[in-house]
Amino acid sequence: MKKLINLIVNNKSYELLVAPNRTLTQVLREDLNLLGTKEGCGIGDCGACTVILNGRPVNSCLILAVQANGCEIQTIEGVADGKNLHPIQEAFIDYGAIQCGFCTPGMVLSAKTLLERNPNPSELEIREAISGNLCRCTGYQKIVEAIKAASKKMKKKEERLDE
Amino acid sequence: MLILPKFDYEEPKDLSEACKIMADLKGKGKIIAGGTDILVNMKKGLLAPSCLVSIGKIPGLSEIEPRNGSIFIGSNLIVAKLTEFDLIKKKYPILYEAASVLGSPLIRNRATIGGNIVTARPAADLPPALIALSGKVKLKNRKGEREVELDKFFVGPGETIIKEDEILTNIVIDEPPPLSGGNYIKLGHRKALEIAIVAVASWIVLDKPDGVIKDAKIILSSVAPKAIHAVSAEKILIGEKPTNKLIEKAASVASNDCSPIDDIRGSAQYRRAMVEVLTKRTLTAALKQAKNSK
Amino acid sequence: MSDYSVINTRLPRVDAWLKVTGEARYAADLSMPNMLYGALLQSPLAHAKILNIDTSKAKGIAGVKDVVTYKEAGTIHYGVSPARYDETMFCYDKVRYVGDEIAAVAAVDFETALEAASLIKVDYEELPVYLNVFDAMKEGAVPIHDEYPNNIGAEVHQEFGNVDEALKECYYVRTDRFVNKKQDGGFLEPQACLAHYDANGYLTLYTSTQVPHYVQRIISMVLNIPIGKIRVIKPYVGGGFGPKAGVNTIELAASLLSMRTGRPVKMVMNREQVFLHSRGRHQFYHELTTGVKKDGTIHALKHTCYLDGGAYTSFGIATVYYAGSLLGAPYRLQHMKYDGYRVYTNKPACGAQRGHGGVAARAAWEQQLDIIAEELGIDPIDFRLKNVREKGEVTCNDFNLSSFGMKECLEAIREHSDWKNKKGKLPKGKGIGMACGFFVSGAGYPIYRSETYHSTAMIKLSEDGGTVDLYTAAAEIGQGSDTVLSMIAAEALGVRYEDVKIFSGSTDYGVDLGAYSSRQTLMTGHAVKQAAENVKSQVLEVLSKRLDIPIEDMDIKDGFIVFKKDPVDFSEIRSIYIKEHRGWAQQLTGDRLTFQEAARIAYLEKGTIVGTGAYKPGELGGKYKGATVGTSPAYGCSAQIVEVTVDMDTGKVTVDSMTDAHDCGFAINRTNVEGQMQGSLSMGLGEALFEEVKFDEKGKILNPTFGEYRIPTALDMPNVNTIIIESNEPNGPFGAKEVGEGAIMPTIPAILNAIYDAVGVRINELPITAERVYNAIKEKEKKKGK
Repeated sequence: MKKLINLIVNNKSYELLVAPNRTLTQVLREDLNLLGTKEGCGIGDCGACTVILNGRPVNSCLILAVQANGCEIQTIEGVADGKNLHPIQEAFIDYGAIQCGFCTPGMVLSAKTLLERNPNPSELEIREAISGNLCRCTGYQKIVEAIKAASKKMKKKEERLDE
Repeated sequence: MLILPKFDYEEPKDLSEACKIMADLKGKGKIIAGGTDILVNMKKGLLAPSCLVSIGKIPGLSEIEPRNGSIFIGSNLIVAKLTEFDLIKKKYPILYEAASVLGSPLIRNRATIGGNIVTARPAADLPPALIALSGKVKLKNRKGEREVELDKFFVGPGETIIKEDEILTNIVIDEPPPLSGGNYIKLGHRKALEIAIVAVASWIVLDKPDGVIKDAKIILSSVAPKAIHAVSAEKILIGEKPTNKLIEKAASVASNDCSPIDDIRGSAQYRRAMVEVLTKRTLTAALKQAKNSK
Repeated sequence: MSDYSVINTRLPRVDAWLKVTGEARYAADLSMPNMLYGALLQSPLAHAKILNIDTSKAKGIAGVKDVVTYKEAGTIHYGVSPARYDETMFCYDKVRYVGDEIAAVAAVDFETALEAASLIKVDYEELPVYLNVFDAMKEGAVPIHDEYPNNIGAEVHQEFGNVDEALKECYYVRTDRFVNKKQDGGFLEPQACLAHYDANGYLTLYTSTQVPHYVQRIISMVLNIPIGKIRVIKPYVGGGFGPKAGVNTIELAASLLSMRTGRPVKMVMNREQVFLHSRGRHQFYHELTTGVKKDGTIHALKHTCYLDGGAYTSFGIATVYYAGSLLGAPYRLQHMKYDGYRVYTNKPACGAQRGHGGVAARAAWEQQLDIIAEELGIDPIDFRLKNVREKGEVTCNDFNLSSFGMKECLEAIREHSDWKNKKGKLPKGKGIGMACGFFVSGAGYPIYRSETYHSTAMIKLSEDGGTVDLYTAAAEIGQGSDTVLSMIAAEALGVRYEDVKIFSGSTDYGVDLGAYSSRQTLMTGHAVKQAAENVKSQVLEVLSKRLDIPIEDMDIKDGFIVFKKDPVDFSEIRSIYIKEHRGWAQQLTGDRLTFQEAARIAYLEKGTIVGTGAYKPGELGGKYKGATVGTSPAYGCSAQIVEVTVDMDTGKVTVDSMTDAHDCGFAINRTNVEGQMQGSLSMGLGEALFEEVKFDEKGKILNPTFGEYRIPTALDMPNVNTIIIESNEPNGPFGAKEVGEGAIMPTIPAILNAIYDAVGVRINELPITAERVYNAIKEKEKKKGK
């Protein structure tokens, strides 16, 4: 039997009638047309389906949409502010951290939550934070460099706001 | 897309409602907490319960409550929090260590301590650490609540003594005694997203800083249908003064205390050899921690 | 310092913005109104005769619009190479591996299609199952394909010089065996496609592919649709690495279902199906006998290789050649013999995967060369330097090394890695090792015999002059070809990078053989450069007449017209432009004539300005059998040093650092080249330490998941010190040649050699699991004990 749920996705509230067996990945992609969240494996092994749920990056393929009722979800589509890219996104572009792009949405979201909790991560902390996001193209190096650079940029921005 | 089979979904508002639903379902329902194990098995076609009962909305199941020196960890507490709370890191570091190597950061943000126990995977990371800590679980159904030592909880792969209408509500860990220490090491292929080839949790309690070993636990996982004690190795340690030689002896004996199998992650022979290596390493670390603890 | 305005820089990718915002669309993201969803029925058995297929129950399910088997699809055989067309869309007489495709269903939703597929009933008569090359070749084994009674689907026998005689002249000869395991591409995006056969009989297929051109041709052949009525369009692709370089069953099935239902049909593979489709790296059994002179000269190489090919040939017909033909090329080896056998087995078919046939061979040989160097008392790098070829040399099998910076690569890695202070000097458990690599920069011949150009390109200037539209059928699969080709166009034409708009990956835009054999930068790059130069000359011709200046006195650079001699009065052109743009907020006021204005004038004069380019390599290669495979207009090469730590008690290997020098001729985009190097090395590390597709005794894959088929995570991959060597390839556009595949070659042997340096054991079987190293260490200790 379908359930009526409310999802707050990228700061927008959606009321949806969904069957219990639909995952959050499916509902985001098929019902809300947010196609940036990908399915790479469907069983939590690759991180391509990463979204931020109540502040934590998670594998949306292992979450039932009905379990996410009332939760705040951020997908890759919610990261940029209109035409203004997030510093992490800018760094990914500048540092060559993107090749095929399939892991990119998940990487950006894992990186975003890392930097929000830990504004000055070491290289090891960065690698740990993205250890659930597989990438076959880049070898991770430029992704790590981009996240490090973004952390510095975000710190500078913070400092400027404090002045 | 990997599709889930169809099922009904219940989201009880409190424990008594949950217990009633589980009782009415008569075994046809399964609890879903984080979902990182059950949904994988359902997608693989290994499981098809007719109803999933979520404990996600039940208040009080996601906290750690200190009670008279013990802590009651709500079964719905996510594994990530076990790595974030200072209390766990400082007072129960062996649990912190096990939680830190479970899956990946993404999995840890959903997997729960209760789920990692009740799914009873032979290679699960938390049970060895919790058994080393002499942890207990609280099981509740409509008829009441009981407490079971984790030592007696597991039966085999995917099997525990939990009844079909029971819900695992809390994990209870008593105050660690003074001069105690533990260590958990997981041997995997990669450094993340791994299911252990072999894992060992060791626990030592000394009677005096320079004294003898009052209590010792060596829990082996992935080398038997469930996490087990290296019984003879533990016996060798108790009552003795801890020396490198003793630890080496215990480690060597431990490798005979298990019955590993060949599987896609490793051979039985290698696992046995690794039990010795990991036992030695965890005992050494546990001893060091015990000597330094207050 | 380069003279170039656009190339040899670190410009951001043209598609970076789309990918980082989640706006880039991959095949599974596409949908159309009235769309149906397709599902496959795949064989649960590894080898069996098909006695009967009953689709009646499936057809009766509500929501099912069509069910197809070989009866509807026909049995036209196809494959990758016409020499081995051994597949049909669906099995008709037998199934040859667990996963072999038998039927497809189109339904109104995916669940219904899956349910219906599960209700198709097939009666089988089981046949003996052969899961390794030795069983498959045994006397009396049942042929998996009737045409190959001994299950050897392809054989190669090549000899250059006289190996047996040469071996007699050697001071030291040794034979080593080496084996790897079947591996998987491991790309993050599973194959997916959307086929739309419209009312006019035009088929449009959106698909995650590396080779739109080859897919188009096979669909035309199998479904009997004229090529001109088929468009294959590649959306963004989430990695290919080789397995996506051939048509797959969902592409054919979705097209057929769309033809029959008149509705668009979408089919998406799940991860397990990706493993079942495979077309990834073969398992190779190598036996190498190498002879050297006392002074370290590599004198002779005798090489036998058995390839476990799986149930169909796919790209394997080329693999069996590559496994041998590339090996000796970096060195002055005159005597090389290679006997290769590709054997059919009842497992998913293997094909081309990054490094195509050369990876395991290179691993085996570069480890053996390390052993030989030690035996002779020569440092491994010195040993290579003594033997490496140089620019202008031709290998014993007629590869013309028109540029070859191997010497520079070796010296670079030695300098940047502190090799001299570390080799043999690190504490026990820590080691450093090196190896070399070599690969083609584009297969010299198309996979089907033809005079066709390998790449065509078209540039159309927008009529307003402001944009350069570049049309190419080349496939951007993550490697960055859209970016590199845009940069080449901009450089060759003289405009800015941001003025170029690229349209790629569709068969409507021309012919391009696609993204495989590391060809696009060189081959498509040439075609693009030609088209750009063509357009440039057209514009300058118009200007020349208009301004009465000889063409040689003008140039285009950075989006401006350059007058090489005296300043020129272009006010007439400027005023025309301004008049045409009355009402625009921005008006051109600079004192330089812009390309935009010049292009506009050219349009006004001649109509739409279009330039074309086309590339095919000249006559390449020797005259011996198989000479066409391995021959290429250019060859990439590299050298790598790796440092490892080996946990002596567990055998676990950690790669601590990597230094890689790759000769890519000329780096069109330096960031891209580094990215390809780092990515290749991470794939090499995975294949060295973790990756293996495992089967049970019935031929079922035991680990068709990313949990148990382990590619490196961010915690497993160290940083790579990347060094770009530029040898300026005369056959490459602006001197560029490959990096995408060649870079993986030295990784596995460098790790093997580092492990030896660390703990004194040689591993001859991949992957280098902790258990394998542990056993080798124990074995060594036992021997020492004796």
